[in-house]
Amino acid sequence: MLTRIEGGRIIDPANGRDEIGDIWMRDGRIVDAPPGASADATYDATGKIVMAGAIDIHSHIAGWNVNTARLLLPEFRLGSPARPGAKPLSSAGWPAFEIGCLYAAMGFTTVVEPAVSPHYALHAHLELADIPIIDKATLAVLGNDDFLLGLIHRKEDRAAVQDYVAWTLGATRSLGVKVINPGGAAAFKENVRTFSFDDVVPSCGVSSREIVKTLQHAVNALGVPHPLHVHCNNLGIAGSADTALTTIAAAEGLPLHLAHLQFYGYGKEGGRGFSSEAARLAEAVNAAKSVTIDVGQVMFGQTVTVSLDVLRQFNARNQARPRKWAILDGDGNGAGIVPYNYRSADFYNAVQWAVGMELFLLIDDPWRVFFTTDHPNGAPFTAYPEILALLMSRDLRAQWMAGLPAEAVAVTTLPSISREYTFTEIATMTRAAPARLLGLRDRGHLGAGAIADVAVYEDERDRARMFRAAALVFRRGELVVRDGKPTKQVFGCALAVEPERDRAIDRRLKAYYEERYGISDDIIKVPDHAIGRPAPFELISCAH
Amino acid sequence: MHHAWIDGAPAELAAAAATAARLLDASRQPVIAGLGADVAGARAATALAQRIGAAIDHMNADALLRDLDVMREAGVMLTTPSEASLRADTLLLAGPGLTEEWNELPQRLLCARTVEPGAGADRRKFWLCPRASWLDDDDRSGSIHNISVIGRETGDLPVLLAALRARVNGRPHGFARLSPSFPQALDGLADALKAARFGVAVWSAAELDALTVEMLCGLVADLNATTRFSGLPLPPGDNAIGVLQVCGWMTGFPPRTGLGRSYPDHDPWRYRAARLVDSGEADCVLWISAYRAKAPEWSGSRPTVALAPADTRFPKPPRVHIAVGAPGRDHDGVEHHPMMGTLAAVTAARRSGALSVADAIAAIAAHLADAPPSC
Ligand SMILES: [Zn+2]
Repeated sequence: MLTRIEGGRIIDPANGRDEIGDIWMRDGRIVDAPPGASADATYDATGKIVMAGAIDIHSHIAGWNVNTARLLLPEFRLGSPARPGAKPLSSAGWPAFEIGCLYAAMGFTTVVEPAVSPHYALHAHLELADIPIIDKATLAVLGNDDFLLGLIHRKEDRAAVQDYVAWTLGATRSLGVKVINPGGAAAFKENVRTFSFDDVVPSCGVSSREIVKTLQHAVNALGVPHPLHVHCNNLGIAGSADTALTTIAAAEGLPLHLAHLQFYGYGKEGGRGFSSEAARLAEAVNAAKSVTIDVGQVMFGQTVTVSLDVLRQFNARNQARPRKWAILDGDGNGAGIVPYNYRSADFYNAVQWAVGMELFLLIDDPWRVFFTTDHPNGAPFTAYPEILALLMSRDLRAQWMAGLPAEAVAVTTLPSISREYTFTEIATMTRAAPARLLGLRDRGHLGAGAIADVAVYEDERDRARMFRAAALVFRRGELVVRDGKPTKQVFGCALAVEPERDRAIDRRLKAYYEERYGISDDIIKVPDHAIGRPAPFELISCAH
Repeated sequence: MHHAWIDGAPAELAAAAATAARLLDASRQPVIAGLGADVAGARAATALAQRIGAAIDHMNADALLRDLDVMREAGVMLTTPSEASLRADTLLLAGPGLTEEWNELPQRLLCARTVEPGAGADRRKFWLCPRASWLDDDDRSGSIHNISVIGRETGDLPVLLAALRARVNGRPHGFARLSPSFPQALDGLADALKAARFGVAVWSAAELDALTVEMLCGLVADLNATTRFSGLPLPPGDNAIGVLQVCGWMTGFPPRTGLGRSYPDHDPWRYRAARLVDSGEADCVLWISAYRAKAPEWSGSRPTVALAPADTRFPKPPRVHIAVGAPGRDHDGVEHHPMMGTLAAVTAARRSGALSVADAIAAIAAHLADAPPSC
């Protein structure tokens, strides 16, 4: 089956293209225009914008946390407008089924669930398996688990840590490794209430810095394409910019990804002791070439914060709106679900919104700043089209700022920023760069050999409208969305790495689980057959 | 050995599945009840409910929703059995039914070794209002050392917890009806709980009312003002938590949800299977019990399709009975793990040819009139 998308404006920064042309697809892949061949199906894209399918590197879409948020908040249907007349399960919004439909409608074809505690990996993968259309991946969260803390405490050699990381990635079928408030959840179990980068977990004397550096080296040495993904300490508090700057400095020239940097963009200036430090953070990121970040943009409205940063969520529980929450002291990591309402009239929330915008606009290199709301923590992913519109128009930003408390805008640099994102920068940030960051060589671009995940948009003046409902979306060459409406129920897979390891670690962990829990280490493993769908995983290769 | 029956008479699987599909197709308000199934069975049942517009309920939803109600009304601090086993230096057991709900509790929690210094075999243990008969059984209680018992009657528990919570917060308990020995014991207990490094409260919602669970969760939250404390609700049986998770991600809601409208409609009163059947609102029942030979408790004469072990005894033969095996015994599966508190894959202990719930539902669904829905 040969398919042609004809006459669109092709925006493909990975291949340096911004031109009118055709895209040809055969057997699920992009192919060069076959000389003299005629397509079995042709789609007219005249006047439209053609990009690769978008990739979201950080969105909480599955697992115990996400599901507990659903069960905690039956009264709202987060992330989904009501769709009268739709099929029963598809109108529910927050369920797995609708997540895939809503993402695909915006032209997204790959999404990473970035916070999977290893013992919950099977749950997360089962839930992901019920999300249609898009492909998925998970990041395994290490750094608060006794096994790793013990390795660091005993100063075991780097190979042992690497083997353990490789074992975890393989067992949990993950694409990369994340640390979340490293050491913070372990310390909280020992009644510690604040935890910074050079604080230590009392019982083992290991610092957050040691955990980050140990894992950063291990991930790098294993050749896992995605660098260590760091959720820093002190999320959300005034003065958290210092923590982020310290963490950026600790990258020391090796790859390191900082998640939702917006939540660390706060200083203590101004009458309320809360101000934007986005300019200082952006300067540090611009200078630290090995560092990548995603923003975690805040948008106004009701949402729910879901995080494995149990210490932060515990401290935030009294700000819950509505007034209820769930906190988990779990194995290795904790978790916390705290509903929250960002209000444009609120000074602090307005500063948070502006900090996110500043980071997007002040970090020069669209290959190193990633497009996220930390769904649903800053805003549901359905807010993406509005954010893209704001990035592409200073006039629109000025309109928004006019509606915010003046004293909030005054503690930011946002009014002075005139930059507007181009289509090429948008496509870099949402397609080409995420594919490179995750090691997905055949995604995020439209060159021959790429997976034929393609999004076609109307070139509308209203950019939010344009990005909310793609005119056409192809998944592996097959039409799955037309005019923002899913046309086909298909199920993708989860992408995972399986780095090499010395199998001695397997015996060691088997003994550890039996001694510690009295059960087999099989508990952590995610076998193909348990997922209940054909070919549930696709292996992504490591550097060596 | 037969695997399927129609009106009590042995039948071919295909004929039984076709008859089941006809009954479900003809139904105006079907209900999928029992729902004792592994994750694959729960996924299949929920997808079937969507397709035929059924309500879904679980046989242990009363207990399940009691814990859930406290969370969605107020807030909860939770931990896993494994964390409790490893870290707790203080255990507060509340009410009866704990060893019935989790028969490994004595060795996993009460006598376990731990990673934490000061915890483990010498952890401090308190039990508020255990079932008197349990304590009187020397064989069982004798295996547990150093357990302080306060109160015997389950009916005393709400008042005891309220008084304890007041004392933990430094307020007078204000309950004149407490028996004379309680106040001193409660003060000692309040001090012990506040002195915990990592304490865990354990209860079974199957035995408590919602207000008692809420009081206990409130006590745990209060203790975190100065120390660390967490809650361990014991999961109801028949994979209730596994089914809850599946229902959550597939519909957005726990069991007792109707899928007959254009949106999932969660109403714990309206979609309680026993009420739907007794009131006559449900005109067809799909009963699922894969873990044990359990028949529904209601007496109504609604046409019933049962997916249950071959040896299940029904008061009156269901219209269709398809025998299913048990997950983890007859076939592989995924279910809530009682020790780790998460979903885990289980391997068949003695693999048999018995159908899984998912297999049986697939067989029925193949005979349904309408096509499966798309996006
Ligand atoms: Zn996040």
